[in-house]
Amino acid sequence: MFMARSKLYIEEHYPSPLKHTWNEFQKSHVSLTGLWLLCIFLVIVIFAPGLAPFDPNKQQVDILLLPPSWDSSGSIQYLFGTDSLGRDLLSRVIYGSRVTLGISILLVLISMLIGLTLGAFAGMGHGLRSSILNHFLDSIMVIPTLLIAIIIVAILGTGLWNCMLAITLALIPRFIHITRNMVRAECNKEYVTAARLDGAGRVRILFDSILPNMIENLVVQGTFALSAAILDISALGFLSLGASATTPELGSMLSDGMELAYVAPWSIALPGCAILLMLVAINLVGDGLRSSLRHRLQH
Amino acid sequence: MMSYLLRRLNLLVITAFIVTVASFALVYLFPGDPLINLTGIVPANSEAYAQLQQEYAFDKNLFMQYVHYIQEIYQGNWGLSISSHNSVLDEILLFLPATLELSVYALVLSTVIGIPLGFWAGLRYQRPVDYGILSASLLGYSLPVFWLGLILILFFSLNLGWLPMSGRISLLYDIPHYSGFILLDILHSGLAESQAAMQDAVNHLILPTLSITIVTSSIVIRITRRSVTEVMESDYIKAATARGLSRGQILWRHGLRNTLLPILPQLVLQFTALLTNAMIVEVIFSWPGIGNWLLQAIYQQDFPAIRGGMLAVSAVVIIFTLSMDVLLRLINPLKDRDVHGTI
Repeated sequence: MFMARSKLYIEEHYPSPLKHTWNEFQKSHVSLTGLWLLCIFLVIVIFAPGLAPFDPNKQQVDILLLPPSWDSSGSIQYLFGTDSLGRDLLSRVIYGSRVTLGISILLVLISMLIGLTLGAFAGMGHGLRSSILNHFLDSIMVIPTLLIAIIIVAILGTGLWNCMLAITLALIPRFIHITRNMVRAECNKEYVTAARLDGAGRVRILFDSILPNMIENLVVQGTFALSAAILDISALGFLSLGASATTPELGSMLSDGMELAYVAPWSIALPGCAILLMLVAINLVGDGLRSSLRHRLQH
Repeated sequence: MMSYLLRRLNLLVITAFIVTVASFALVYLFPGDPLINLTGIVPANSEAYAQLQQEYAFDKNLFMQYVHYIQEIYQGNWGLSISSHNSVLDEILLFLPATLELSVYALVLSTVIGIPLGFWAGLRYQRPVDYGILSASLLGYSLPVFWLGLILILFFSLNLGWLPMSGRISLLYDIPHYSGFILLDILHSGLAESQAAMQDAVNHLILPTLSITIVTSSIVIRITRRSVTEVMESDYIKAATARGLSRGQILWRHGLRNTLLPILPQLVLQFTALLTNAMIVEVIFSWPGIGNWLLQAIYQQDFPAIRGGMLAVSAVVIIFTLSMDVLLRLINPLKDRDVHGTI
């Protein structure tokens, strides 16, 4: 499969768990397409300044609301057309994807780290302390994330930074919840009991036994959190609570284009399509990973 | 069952406690004077301020302030809105039903659409029908609800001119406020033109409900499909097949109930997401609901209103989740399992 193996011995070959997951993942072409799409978006995130043909904030007064190039009155120079201030839409979508996706990835990583730490604490602990933490978490999970974000924005004021803080704080409880449940479930399995009988301490059990078994599941949860983060950050931008109008962020671009939607439908259609494609890619990868994990665990 | 109910009650009390503490903390966390943030009253002079301080126990320690706050909340005094000078609770009671109406219709519609489609996909696991439904649901699940709303407006309201793009009902009709649910109110009003008003209200409802339903039903499809495939692979279904039951018999006698039971709690969990989507959709369609109202409160830095809105929305979610939980437990024959409550 990967390299020529000698067939001298009749020996069954067992791939490592990671490789096994990858093999299962590869079987689904749709998931692979999603992965490629996600890679393209990652390239855009990293190399946005090199890819964008124009400065996203350069206003050209002589070409306001130029239609996209496939329209008969469009120009090939401005592939996606321009917006109401004469800014090149392609460059803005590229930079917007960078801001939206890049920030979301960052936020998910940060909240995953914090959530993992607290969740492991809650999951491994017993007694009153962890019980209080669990009840507290359950109550926080009741409040919709967007409402938490709105309240934090109300306390700190609008802006991209406050928005990022708000979404991180809103994501953390979910990660704590998931980690706690996973740690609880793993703790009851026999290999953990075996490790405990071997005399391993709680920290050691957590890092050597439980975490390696959780990591793929965490990645799956991370992709779901990523799509939630993208939705939240663009929703806050759309409600003009997040990124200011000058920052090219896909959500705030949508609310910018809303007033002129009838004259220039492309100025809301294209940024929205970018968000949609991003989410489709992430959800495809997440779904693919999840089903390949399930297949691996079944066999 | 008794101990189960007690646990739920315990959870309800603790959750309510935490939510009220959080909302009380907001009084101090919001910028500005805590007392003004709490009451919404801007005292004219220092005497009035001192009186207000005494009235709300603000001259005592934090704990007494909190106790007094709870009493005020319980008595329905949620403070005054800074921008409109109306009672926050009254405004919430005016706007919240509009949101609930939208959410309930969307929830019912997504269940009615999502569960059968999910069943169909799950029964045709990994066949063309399954792939078709799965891709459609993935697409629906990935749609940002605010963009979907905009596109629907652009297409159905602006291009085709079939449906109205904003509000709940045309200004021509003056419907007296009764339950806050517009369709019920029209029925109750007994106006001469109630037929036309009904038609108009339904027209206004279609697009917002549709945008929420597309997103939510795709999640319902995914949940149902997974549950159906899991049940259909289980041993008792194989045993039933071995006994010679037909596919329809298997589905009706063994499949249906065992699939629906795990789905329902997950559907309840989706209510939070649905409410969030409803609040966003309201802004796009200028629907006079709590989401729109909260957002205006934020733009105008109306802190009593934000606090009240948070309290009201959390209360709705808590009450809905817990009551559905108890209800599902009552109809669930496996009720003696997992006693520990989570929301």
